[in-house]
Amino acid sequence: MLTRRSLALAPLAAAALLALSAAGPFAAARADDPATAFIDQAGKDLLEIVNGPGDTPAKQASLQQVIDRIVDVDVIAQFCLGRFWRTATPEQRQAYLQQFHRVLLKNITGKLGEFKGVTFTIGRSVPREADTGVATVIVRPNAAPANVEWVVSTASGSPRIIDVVAEGTSLRLTQRSDYAAYLGQHNSDVGALIAAMKQQADAG
Amino acid sequence: MRATPSFRSLTASLGAILLAAAVSGCATPPPASDPEALADFKQTNDPIEPANRVMYAVNNGIDAVLFRPLIAGYRAVVPDPLRERVHSVVTNLGSPVVLANDMMQAKPRRAGDTLMRFAINSTFGVAGIFDVATGWGYPEHSSDFGVTLALWGVDEGPFLFLPVLGPSNPRDLAGYGAGIALDPLTWMGKGSTVTDLGYARLGVTVLDAKSRVQPDIDKALASALDPYATYRSLYRQYRQSAIDSTRNDTRATPPAWRVATPAP
Repeated sequence: MLTRRSLALAPLAAAALLALSAAGPFAAARADDPATAFIDQAGKDLLEIVNGPGDTPAKQASLQQVIDRIVDVDVIAQFCLGRFWRTATPEQRQAYLQQFHRVLLKNITGKLGEFKGVTFTIGRSVPREADTGVATVIVRPNAAPANVEWVVSTASGSPRIIDVVAEGTSLRLTQRSDYAAYLGQHNSDVGALIAAMKQQADAG
Repeated sequence: MRATPSFRSLTASLGAILLAAAVSGCATPPPASDPEALADFKQTNDPIEPANRVMYAVNNGIDAVLFRPLIAGYRAVVPDPLRERVHSVVTNLGSPVVLANDMMQAKPRRAGDTLMRFAINSTFGVAGIFDVATGWGYPEHSSDFGVTLALWGVDEGPFLFLPVLGPSNPRDLAGYGAGIALDPLTWMGKGSTVTDLGYARLGVTVLDAKSRVQPDIDKALASALDPYATYRSLYRQYRQSAIDSTRNDTRATPPAWRVATPAP
């Protein structure tokens, strides 16, 4: 029952981080509120890396730096573990965070080739509870334009991305239900989840 | 359609799998002593999860032997610009159903958009091949009876995974049936030519929809530890966002070009 408008652009959600790289002329014009300006600048930073000189490993290393700065990976990771975060031991938490960083980075940098010809425009920003959602439209070659919203939080003091909502599907909600289902099938064993994540990050 | 032996054996094995799924039955809820796990279970709202997982596997099999080769062939034979035109035609043919739903949802502006789109694209757009209306201020939106039922306050019900149709729930399944009944092309004319045209349209619609969404779904599920659960979550969120964006579309009825723009 997947009719018309494309469902499941969440891959794009992980991927879309890089799509920012193609910040168009509209981006600068509307960068008046802090969250929008932040997303605009983040896009320019990523653009510089993706289109800049250097081989793939060098680009991946620079990307990791930018992602660690603009994305609040720890906050997202905690959200994704849900109620199991509280029951996890300190060692498990640390191992989980480490693997989460690795998987996220792999999901993004593994798709460098997919960002060729991608362009995007920044729309308006809307309040999302304590945070701000910045709307963008991402245009990919051979695909329908996608509405992607970036949720920016300033809870940590500086603005950082805490969620990506692609065509109505939230990256962190989807990830949380994935982990919850995995834990449900594995006796709520956080250790098993960490091992599976490690396998994901190590693969390929 | 003539049932070939292989088709018959396929339906037989499908039947056997369905039976097995029915017997393997329901998900066991966690004990009441674990309230958080119980809350999770209720939120997941997938009481027949074991059966759904069987159907998910069946559906993957059908995809592998039937739809994936078809999509690959379609994408190989028909170049992208032409596929866009096919999409426009299919979308235009779906307009009457969207219009009916816009009206039942009491969304006059959306109904107006759809009506104008159908009129403009069927004529100036040469039978819907070109989408002229978007540039003229009538943006596209899709809708279906599942969304209408949601706006009428019908609950989605438990998650269902169906062979061929994929992820669903009782509300969307009812909406799917109603969508066929609402389609004037379902009731138009009789005879083998009309029937053949109907099948052709159904085939092209399915190809178009699948070839547009499959790559994105594949990518999302490839990075999942539990693809079934991820698909379930994506479907739910996607449907909820379609419902929310319809509900929140409170644009005034006259289109923008009729409203005098105040001097800056």
